[in-house]
Amino acid sequence: MNFDYSEEQKMLVQSLERTLAKTYDFETYREQLASKATHTPELWESLAELGIMAMPLPESAGGFDGNHVDVMAVCTELGRRLVPEPYVSNVVMAAYIFEATGADDKLEAIATGETKYAAGFYEPGERHNALALNTTATENGGNYTLNGHKAVVLGADSADYLIVSADLDGASLFLLPATADGVTLRKYPLLDGRGAADIILDGAQATLLGTAGSGADIIEAAVDRAAAALCADTIGAVEEVKNLTQEYLRTRTQFGRPIGKFQVLAHRMVDLLVEFEQMKSIAMEAAVEARSEDTASRMRAVSAAKAKIGAASRFFGQESIQMHGGIGMTDEYALGAYVKRMLVNEVLFGDTDYHLTRFADT
Amino acid sequence: MDFSLTEEQTAFRDTVRTFLKDNLPVDVRDITRGKGHLSKEQYKRWHGILAAQGWSTPLWPIEHGGTGWSPIEYAIFDEECHAAGAPRVLPFSVSMLGPVLIAFGNDEQKERFLPGIQDGSDWWCQGFSEPGAGSDLASLKCAAVRDGDDYVINGQKTWTTLGQHADWIFCLVRTDPKAAKPQTGISFVMVPMDAEGIEVRPIITLDGGHEVNEVWFTDVRIPAAYLVGEENKGWNYAKFLLQNERIGIAGIGVSKNELEGLKRLASAEKKNGKPLIEDTSFKTKIAEIEIELRAMDITNKRMLVETGRGMDPGPVSSMLKIRGSEVAQRIYELKMEASGLYSLPFQPHAGDAGWNDELIGSLTNANSAPVYLNTRKISIFGGSNEIQRTIISKMVLGF
Repeated sequence: MNFDYSEEQKMLVQSLERTLAKTYDFETYREQLASKATHTPELWESLAELGIMAMPLPESAGGFDGNHVDVMAVCTELGRRLVPEPYVSNVVMAAYIFEATGADDKLEAIATGETKYAAGFYEPGERHNALALNTTATENGGNYTLNGHKAVVLGADSADYLIVSADLDGASLFLLPATADGVTLRKYPLLDGRGAADIILDGAQATLLGTAGSGADIIEAAVDRAAAALCADTIGAVEEVKNLTQEYLRTRTQFGRPIGKFQVLAHRMVDLLVEFEQMKSIAMEAAVEARSEDTASRMRAVSAAKAKIGAASRFFGQESIQMHGGIGMTDEYALGAYVKRMLVNEVLFGDTDYHLTRFADT
Repeated sequence: MDFSLTEEQTAFRDTVRTFLKDNLPVDVRDITRGKGHLSKEQYKRWHGILAAQGWSTPLWPIEHGGTGWSPIEYAIFDEECHAAGAPRVLPFSVSMLGPVLIAFGNDEQKERFLPGIQDGSDWWCQGFSEPGAGSDLASLKCAAVRDGDDYVINGQKTWTTLGQHADWIFCLVRTDPKAAKPQTGISFVMVPMDAEGIEVRPIITLDGGHEVNEVWFTDVRIPAAYLVGEENKGWNYAKFLLQNERIGIAGIGVSKNELEGLKRLASAEKKNGKPLIEDTSFKTKIAEIEIELRAMDITNKRMLVETGRGMDPGPVSSMLKIRGSEVAQRIYELKMEASGLYSLPFQPHAGDAGWNDELIGSLTNANSAPVYLNTRKISIFGGSNEIQRTIISKMVLGF
């Protein structure tokens, strides 16, 4: 049993930290939000140069054969710095889907950051069920035509290609250019500035990934990997929230003393510290299990983490805003940005209720 | 990062498992599983069996009879013991007094007292709390006055767990009432329970059990040789003692076992003709606490490894105690809920050795409310969870 990052992972985190400290501080983040841009090509390139996209990918694709703990290390830093780039959509989801469907030739362009993808499974009116399919595919001499609507697809705003699920003898996966005829993208920033889009498919032509009807297991595994990655993202964000709140209680003076001297606040801070350690522990387990071949064990670990971290991060956000008072309500203070980051992570890829129920049923 | 057991750890687990299978007495196991009260003889018998194996004081330094186990190995041992239905070894002698004597006692005291702790022949109880000194322990008044080669003790201790069985009590007593700070006038002494002037009066708790006691001291005379360490330094030893408790404080082993019990119970109980465990609302409650315990298990092991590397154990113990007790209490609460109407018939001694009344409901039902009520104590004793929060906040906020 060991609970540490490897030396390589520690070095990766350090270099990522250094790069982001230089290139992506809170002011840069705010400027980007103000400009409504959800993706910055230069930042994406600089991240690719660090090797963080190649790291978890197989060696054959120019990767370093990493695991999901590597992904955790990266995503924690991305969350800590509020980086909106579509790392999870590409390196976690698209890369896995290509591996699982024998489309390994696509991986190299993910490792270099050259081509961007987004994977859309969820549909309007179906809440958090990634396998509820109203989108249809019809075959006509080896060509596939898609009709349907995909809801709030992370990274679809900046993707060159889209991966979508559609019903063709069961759940099947398809690939198509984002600019294809019959594709309408309604792009928008999410609460925290990350980009997404609704995808409307109206007779769009696509190619089949893998075999028809074999998509369900792949979709569930892709969602689990993404969920574990967002758990790690929240760990980075929540650690910053913890530090901000702790520092505020130490320095904010009212009634002639630092407010952290009031026991009612001091004890609430301690409850947050305990929550933080619990969140970290369960995120670690999700990272360790996210690629497990034992499906039930993977699902239980990921659902445990997503449910725990979802509920705890909401609590963390509420408590931290309350303990900050008025300043916690302002847009110019970083706390709010982290609270929104955590909210987005909470809802994407299965919310707390969804995962709690799945944990109980698995 | 790798959460699986190493080959050595798996082998260790198997050794512990086999030992428990071959050596845990059936009567002790059954009462422990049935949540009855063990007799003094049963506690001592099990302690003796562990001692014969060399496992009664695993966390002591090896030269004093410890096993040299790593924190992870100890966690494995603890979990296996609870899974097998073994009772926990009472902490007062092994986890509290023993380490204090090893660290601060003189050679004579070590020679005289450590063997009796190790083999369980001496039963020790703890005399810290007083009616006026609970969370504010340093305000304690029970006084020891030096008289020649003796101390003479007058005052009262309370919440003395299983003091009715004890051969000895270790106490914090006031030796300097004029000290500048209350903490600096306290000493740590050991007193034989058969000394003249000691009276033990039972306190019956709301679950109907007799676990705790008042211990009254009237002109109790002990030789000064029973003072541990230096006079008026007792507070330091007490702090050391409480911090030393961190391994095992989260109660992971017992909670894991109780959670399994909760699931068995919820499978046996019915709601609308179906097992309660299939009820959406109840299974969600179980899932929530199971997830919390899962995280706690990792947090516990992670922190034990960190303290082994030199992380400050103070806030760690406090954190583990807070969340560990909350998790355990929630599980007991759900067992009572799962028992439904049959949590209500009051059968406080169901499952005790020699109890022969006719059982109403299942044994788990019968004990669910008494155990729920009894375990409200775990967020109070050993420094209440509020005191633990203050310890942590002082550490992280600096005031």
